[in-house]
Amino acid sequence: MSLTQSARPTPTLFNVSADNWRLAIVVALVVSIIAGIVLPAAVSFWLIGAMVALVAASFVVNAYRRRYYGGLLVAPAIAVLFVMNIFPLLWSLGLSFFAYQSNQQSIRFVGLNNYIKVLTNEIAAPDNWHALSNTALFVVLTVSAQMIVGFLLAMLFAKQFPLRKYLLILVLTPMMLSVVASGVFFTYYYDPTFGILSYVVNDATDGQFILMSSKAGAVAGIVFADAWMWSPFVMLLVLAGLVSVPKYLYEAAAIDRVSAWRRFWSITFPYIRGLLMLALLFRTIEAFKLADLVILLTKGGNDTMTISYHLIRIANEQNKTSEGAALSYVMLFMVIVLTNLYLYLANRRNKGG
Amino acid sequence: MSTRTKIKGALMAAGVAASLGVADVSTARAEEVTLTMAVPDWPPTRVMKKFFDEQYKPKSGNTVKLDVDFIPWPDFYTRVNASLTSGEKKYNFIVSDSQWLGAFVEGGYYRKINDLLDADPDFKKTFMSVHENPRNAYSTYPYKSENYYGFPQFPDVLVNFARKDVLCDATEQKNFQAKYNKKLPCTGEEIDAMTWDDFKNIGEFFRRKKGEMLMGKPADDDFYGIAFQAGKGYDFSSMQINGFIWQMGGDVWDETKVPNGQAEGVVNSPVAVKALEKYLSMIDYMPPVAKTGTMDIFKSDELFREGKVAMNIDWIGVGEASLDPKTSKVVDKLVVGLAPGTPGPDGKLVRWSNIGGQPFVLTTWTTDAQIKEAVEFVKWWLSDDIQNQFAAAGGQSAVKSVYENPKYVTYRPWNRAWAASLDWQKDVWHVPQFFELLTQQQDQFDLAITGKQDAKTTLDNIAKFQQNLLTEAGLIQ
Amino acid sequence: MASGVSFWERIGFRSGGGVGDAGWGRTLGVAIVSLIYFLPVLFIIFTAFKPQELALSVPPTLSPTSFFGLIPDQFVFSPTLENFGSVFSRVMTAGGAPEATGFDRFFFNSIVIATVSVLLALVLGTLASYGFSRYPLKGNDTYLFIILTTRMLPAIVVVIPIILMFRAVGLAGSYTGIILLYTAFNLAFTIWMMKSFFDELSTDVEDAARIDGSSETKVFLKICLPQVVAGLAATFVFGLILTWNEFLFALLLTGPDTRTVPVAMNQAVASGGRGTDWTLLAAIETLFLIPVFLVTFFLQDHLLRGVTFGTVKK
Repeated sequence: MSLTQSARPTPTLFNVSADNWRLAIVVALVVSIIAGIVLPAAVSFWLIGAMVALVAASFVVNAYRRRYYGGLLVAPAIAVLFVMNIFPLLWSLGLSFFAYQSNQQSIRFVGLNNYIKVLTNEIAAPDNWHALSNTALFVVLTVSAQMIVGFLLAMLFAKQFPLRKYLLILVLTPMMLSVVASGVFFTYYYDPTFGILSYVVNDATDGQFILMSSKAGAVAGIVFADAWMWSPFVMLLVLAGLVSVPKYLYEAAAIDRVSAWRRFWSITFPYIRGLLMLALLFRTIEAFKLADLVILLTKGGNDTMTISYHLIRIANEQNKTSEGAALSYVMLFMVIVLTNLYLYLANRRNKGG
Repeated sequence: MSTRTKIKGALMAAGVAASLGVADVSTARAEEVTLTMAVPDWPPTRVMKKFFDEQYKPKSGNTVKLDVDFIPWPDFYTRVNASLTSGEKKYNFIVSDSQWLGAFVEGGYYRKINDLLDADPDFKKTFMSVHENPRNAYSTYPYKSENYYGFPQFPDVLVNFARKDVLCDATEQKNFQAKYNKKLPCTGEEIDAMTWDDFKNIGEFFRRKKGEMLMGKPADDDFYGIAFQAGKGYDFSSMQINGFIWQMGGDVWDETKVPNGQAEGVVNSPVAVKALEKYLSMIDYMPPVAKTGTMDIFKSDELFREGKVAMNIDWIGVGEASLDPKTSKVVDKLVVGLAPGTPGPDGKLVRWSNIGGQPFVLTTWTTDAQIKEAVEFVKWWLSDDIQNQFAAAGGQSAVKSVYENPKYVTYRPWNRAWAASLDWQKDVWHVPQFFELLTQQQDQFDLAITGKQDAKTTLDNIAKFQQNLLTEAGLIQ
Repeated sequence: MASGVSFWERIGFRSGGGVGDAGWGRTLGVAIVSLIYFLPVLFIIFTAFKPQELALSVPPTLSPTSFFGLIPDQFVFSPTLENFGSVFSRVMTAGGAPEATGFDRFFFNSIVIATVSVLLALVLGTLASYGFSRYPLKGNDTYLFIILTTRMLPAIVVVIPIILMFRAVGLAGSYTGIILLYTAFNLAFTIWMMKSFFDELSTDVEDAARIDGSSETKVFLKICLPQVVAGLAATFVFGLILTWNEFLFALLLTGPDTRTVPVAMNQAVASGGRGTDWTLLAAIETLFLIPVFLVTFFLQDHLLRGVTFGTVKK
């Protein structure tokens, strides 16, 4: 990477120059925070926007002057992400330190009170903790179901065989459905009067089968629907890894009469490890956000309330914006810890291998 | 309230006064005025739009356009709430559930209309021609105060949808008489006279498994006598349970008694516990989906239309589908009566029930020119002629002269129960804390409905929560 | 491929024998699994052809054909195309004439918004991931992780600031607004996925090209990009699927003219003052499935060609 080495020294913090991005960030932060507090939203928005542009410009000048191709390549994506995602996230982070309800005009700084409330208040906190523990259950069940089913499906399709292309698309279709349609149709499949499941079970057992009337049944119903929809996602990633294993490696292994198990671990697994990791990361993140299926299938009944659904209630239905923001940052913290743990373990394995 | 808002309010008031004063002058030049409206996507609002496009001629001579955003029902609140609270200021008219009034009035989004009523006697007369109960429910915040906000869009009540083929069947009549020593209600009048105990008996009596005899033939599927809303979503059990509590002499937390009205001791009074127990005792006789906590107003209606139950208590608003042969197997078998009552001390039936339906309201950022046209539009909408047409097209009217017209009962089978029901309607809370009160209550009722908790514990939990929340909000002292 | 591929080979028949190949036995086994997996979708598609009256029949009607007597008559219905017509035009008020539902517009919106935003995200994201992979910045992993965190919170948390922002800039209800938002929504996944593909490439070829005097741009376009076509295809498909079905942002940030199908689809969930209109919902979903199904089908070859196509893992 000799080409990317700096051609000039980086300016020090207080050196006013077009490429001093550190100074730009400091100025932008100070101005934005002051503007956000003092000025009305309609004005502060533009000011903060200008500050973002300033920082971006300094980054670009800096990258150009020092031939940081990395910075230049990354900048446009970061800019879009900042405006559309990171900025709103920071905004709601800010709100979590205020007492603010979106349907009221008043706003008041309360420090960490919202966090204390969502974690310890005797009325609010038990529901939050309960929703978090339910979410943990769903994350473990749905993600492991998806990883296992996805992996097995990928193994099925790993070899070349006739009509493979046409069968593969059948398995991929579930994840293309919109959640509304698949969720609503799962309510039909599970319905004790009209549904197919109860019809089949009742016929076989001569009883009255109601899947969604217990926690176990309701959780199973939700996990099944979610795993069914998203296992193909895992499958496709794993499959992309499996088909990329060079065939000569297998041929060599066949000559050496390596056992199937060892062949998998030493030849195949290294090719899918990164993709499995990616699948695990993204499915975990999505599983924490599980809400639509719960809303459609149980409305949180039978003890299936998840943190995301709970957040929708707090932040949207009840308009408790800052309390919702605080709770969501508690949730974000947990997701970050978990995903970092994944990444740490994956990296350690990488180094060990 | 910020100074900006105050100034805006003052300007607006001045503007209104000015515009009313110069009303005659401004007719000289035609302007184009657009009224933007957020409505749920369903027939009553589609009809309104259709009538407007086909028939509305503004008196002012202006060109008035009604720009209607039809939003699917399931997301209606989310969309409207986000639009209002984000300050988008997009809509001039909003169809709103009556319970949302407090939250959105306090937020400064819904416009009080007392000044408009006072300035225009005609408008006031039209407005006051709406039956008192729906008017209070759809228009007042605090509930039953004299602060007015909304106009009826689609007024609605709970009625009893029943199957006359099943109920009037000779064998069933004979067996019911033998078992309960009472006539099985069969005509509209007999259904009107039903008590909840009769309702429960019908549930018990008509519980038939597939293959058991129903109307002299083996039933081709499990059959049930009764259904009503018992779902966890939105307000799909409170709306029914409130009726039980009121009829038996209990009460919910009453916002008209602020700040002295209590939640604890009222919400969980022994009478209320008995009322909830009575409600819960009927769940066992209902289709099995009731045990999952998802039997909402749509599911029970679906079961009724598919011919799985003999009787269903539901909103008139969902009735239309039972008259369409494509969506209903009971089109020619339908008979509708009043929802059951509870005998009072004098032996007469007490019929308190929770009102349904929606008003539409004006928003605070509506300009003077728009307000002028909006008032004319509402006057037109509530006029006898349009309300009659609306009722003929499947809507309901809370305007006295309209529903007292003998023609009214001929429009739809449930209209015979309309006038009598109106006198017995109450509404729940209009306070801004409505959604918090409702979700906690729905969660608790769901635990009771799915058999995880008894009635007493349920109401104790609700009362404790409400007492706490409302004391914190300064509504209970 | 100069020798040409026979018709039989094209549709999957090929002589077995290679290490990675399996024969018709595998086809049979996989076909059974795939069909079972596909059944819930198949039911929705068949429901789209069902007469409305039969939507909730007990026992459930399952199929428009008996498949040569395989399915007993009681489960068979006679198919109709009426539901597909209802998607675009139907009676909305009792006794009224059929009215346009606006679904032609909604389909158009969905296609435009999803295609443009996914392509945009692919361009920006591929550039960025190449940067992250080849020219690591100081704190590279931190940047990557921050990008990932943008996907971690439920949309409901960030939606109010976004609405405010859109209103301030006049983007509410416009194509530009929702497209930019979806672009950002897709970037995190695109960057992570494409980076893992770039990381897998061997840098030997690139370095050789640089020594030969190729410019950085040329190295990227002529050497790196062709090697990650499979990755681009996979990322495009995933991005398309996620964007295609996104609901909450679409609900809150599109207007009547820019509304997408997932939002409008709920018309059929509380339809005309009653509950679900099962056959209508199935028809909307079936139509809505077709574009994304076709795109996936035609990109499948790229998807499976392999991540490290033609190169040696480093």
